[in-house]
Amino acid sequence: MIFVILFLGLAVGALVGLLGIGGGVVLVPAMVYLLRMDQHLAQGTSLFILLPPVGLGALREYWKQRQVDLRAGILCALGMMLGAYLGSQIAIPMASRNLKGLFGCFLMLAAVLLWRKAQKERQAVSVAGEERAGG
Amino acid sequence: MAESVGRSAGIFAVACVCGVASGMFGIGGGVLLVPLLGLLFAYSQHRAQGTSLVALIPPTGLLALISYAKADYVSWKTGFLLIPGIFAGGILGAALAKKIQPRRMRQIFAGVMFALGAWQALSAWGR
Repeated sequence: MIFVILFLGLAVGALVGLLGIGGGVVLVPAMVYLLRMDQHLAQGTSLFILLPPVGLGALREYWKQRQVDLRAGILCALGMMLGAYLGSQIAIPMASRNLKGLFGCFLMLAAVLLWRKAQKERQAVSVAGEERAGG
Repeated sequence: MAESVGRSAGIFAVACVCGVASGMFGIGGGVLLVPLLGLLFAYSQHRAQGTSLVALIPPTGLLALISYAKADYVSWKTGFLLIPGIFAGGILGAALAKKIQPRRMRQIFAGVMFALGAWQALSAWGR
């Protein structure tokens, strides 16, 4: 089991660097399904994992290439800290089952956003891809 | 100048929304922040990702974590085991991101995420 956990960490980390995300969006379902955690427990543990700057190594690589907007990043950090507190107050009293379902909906929304971003980047948009993302 | 203030306010507001998702779902929020910076504020993909990583450096989830810990919803041991792998993997992934064509990979990731989300929603509310 420990081996699975260590390997999971490495895989999630690779995504952190590749996509510039915190990794929680992958960690939470992985802990629910691979480690059989309850939804609330997985979310709390994910927040704990994201506490230390796990993305620092990745950030250094981006910084070297001048792909960082420091001012906007600091603003985002402040906004997210505030918002995260609010969000936790909403989630904790919820039934685990409903929270799990909502998390699923959130994942789908995030997936659509990510897909649309990828589409927009290549201006020669393929309409078929958009439809697939929506359906 | 006024435009840049409005833009900053906009970014702050978007970050607040990402934060609510972060606390509600126990995630970093970058998964929302990256596409939104790109779609709403015209950041290039790499710049959006780098900026999102800045936002994830300070302990943005600290207040939310305290709430979860009070409710006994944190598995400390699993957390400690996951942290070193994620850190090492992050360096690896960032180095890789420079080399490969990221659009294709992002689409695959979006597809997997969508399927995972649908599965979670179904297993929670199905039947």
